[in-house]
Amino acid sequence: MSRLRAALIAALIALVCVLSLMIGAVHIGPCDLWRGLIDNEGPAAFTVRVLRAPRLLCALGAGAALGLSGTIFQMLLRNPLAAPDVMGFNAGAGFAVIVAISTGVNWPMPLVAAMGGGVAAVLVAALSYRRGRMPDNLTLILVGLGVGFSASGLSTLLGLRLPDTLAAEAQRWITGSLSARSWTHVAQIWGLGAVLCAMLVVQVRGLGLLQLGPALAAGLGLHLGRSRAGLLATAVLLAACGVAVAGPVPFVALMAGPLGIAITRARGPAARLLAGAGSGALITAAADLLARALWLGVQLPVGVMTGLLGAPYLLWFLSRAAKEGTL
Amino acid sequence: MSKSPKPAGLQTHHLCLGYDGRDVIADLSLELPVGKVSAILGPNGCGKSTLLHALARLERPRAGRVLLEGDDIHATDTRALARRLAILPQAPLAPPGISVGDLVRRGRAPWRGVLQRFSQADAAACAAALEAVDMTALRDRDLDALSGGQRQRAWIALTLAQTAPFLLLDEPTTWLDLPHQIEILRLLQRLNRTQGVSVVSVLHDLNLAARFCDHLVLFGPHGLVATGTPRAVLSEDNLRTAFGLDARVVACPVSGAPMVCPI
Repeated sequence: MSRLRAALIAALIALVCVLSLMIGAVHIGPCDLWRGLIDNEGPAAFTVRVLRAPRLLCALGAGAALGLSGTIFQMLLRNPLAAPDVMGFNAGAGFAVIVAISTGVNWPMPLVAAMGGGVAAVLVAALSYRRGRMPDNLTLILVGLGVGFSASGLSTLLGLRLPDTLAAEAQRWITGSLSARSWTHVAQIWGLGAVLCAMLVVQVRGLGLLQLGPALAAGLGLHLGRSRAGLLATAVLLAACGVAVAGPVPFVALMAGPLGIAITRARGPAARLLAGAGSGALITAAADLLARALWLGVQLPVGVMTGLLGAPYLLWFLSRAAKEGTL
Repeated sequence: MSKSPKPAGLQTHHLCLGYDGRDVIADLSLELPVGKVSAILGPNGCGKSTLLHALARLERPRAGRVLLEGDDIHATDTRALARRLAILPQAPLAPPGISVGDLVRRGRAPWRGVLQRFSQADAAACAAALEAVDMTALRDRDLDALSGGQRQRAWIALTLAQTAPFLLLDEPTTWLDLPHQIEILRLLQRLNRTQGVSVVSVLHDLNLAARFCDHLVLFGPHGLVATGTPRAVLSEDNLRTAFGLDARVVACPVSGAPMVCPI
């Protein structure tokens, strides 16, 4: 029953939402939560409406964008290791923003992040280019890993040289953090996310044809180059939008697709993308909740928590794939 | 206004195909007739699959043209062409966990607008395609759970759902055992006789090709050797030229088609 299973993800997201609004430095009971959220009254109104709700909505939006992006990459390249965080786009986007901060360039951050992710994408494509044929997927992923490590190393270097006042801001662009998110950020991620989702809707059927292999897809009337390029551009932009709000949160894009598809048993391309978006939102919101609530008084950045969750997943996946020879 | 009738069938005009500066096929002009079952035969590496790909505009010719009913296929919109000509490549990829019915529905892609819903005409075409390959009862099954022959019939159903009058198949019987090879060839013949689909396949087995096809195209290591009916093409001289094979050709005791007996 895949509808029931999809409802499971929705229920988990709802649960994480309620807990996220209640738990924190100040605990808020259900009654105060209701009054603060709906009536804008009582002791909890400020905490819920100004502090926690935008943070939660940013987590959901950025997580869904990263999850979608990763699922597109994985379906298009037919490799569960293909994801913008593994392939260097997140790190490239983070690096571009740190460069902008440290040189005092005052451009809108989503634009800078998108440019950074785009440059990283072009770099990965150029470095894995072989004359006259498509680079194989593993080459693409390994080159992406290299580009990603270089970008995050350079980000750390630049971050260390920043004055203390900017260091906290820089930290967000190195590990990924959702602290101090405002309604402006919410509007940004959900607005841009909606535009990109609309772009994706018209491309889903093409993705379903590309799954059948290039020869059959072309035989069914698809323009291969055009649809591949469109899907890759949408995926890179989705990742950049997520990064622009939450920083280069690691492993969300990598884990979201396989996890969401395993839970929902989604089959068609549209259902798989939805599952990836839902589980990306769930992972990010849950990781942020854990990062805030696990050690009271200590607020870990969300990126540290997704790293703690994601690294074992990657190790498990790699060891299984190595054993089965499917890497 | 008088207009000369459009030439029927699929034609190549001085076609050159190849990779890395080397021509696999040079200056090839031939015609695959409409309304027939045709087979492209020849030794490995003679360019059979390359030719089939070029006929389906999956490969750009180095020179020359491919014409479908007189229209240059590289000058025709790819979606419009997909309504007139379907191809089943040798190793299509199965999306994980896809059912037979979902697979066949993807064959309707060239008929559907970007946001157009699956119409009754689409559903009817899919049902007819499943019926034609005798897979209606298995439509909800996972493709992975089927036998090799059933899976090949599901892929053929996908191309039938495309409802194109020309159907190209790249080695549709490879990897199948003999009864399933015969089953697939009988199916293609039946589709041709009952629905008028023009079928062109790349095949390896000369005797099966002679038995189930109306028109053969035989290649050798140095290009085209012969085209025509099985009886005309599968001569002892042509077999020597194409394969370097010494053989006697006798009449098949069951069908009367030429049968190749290597010496």
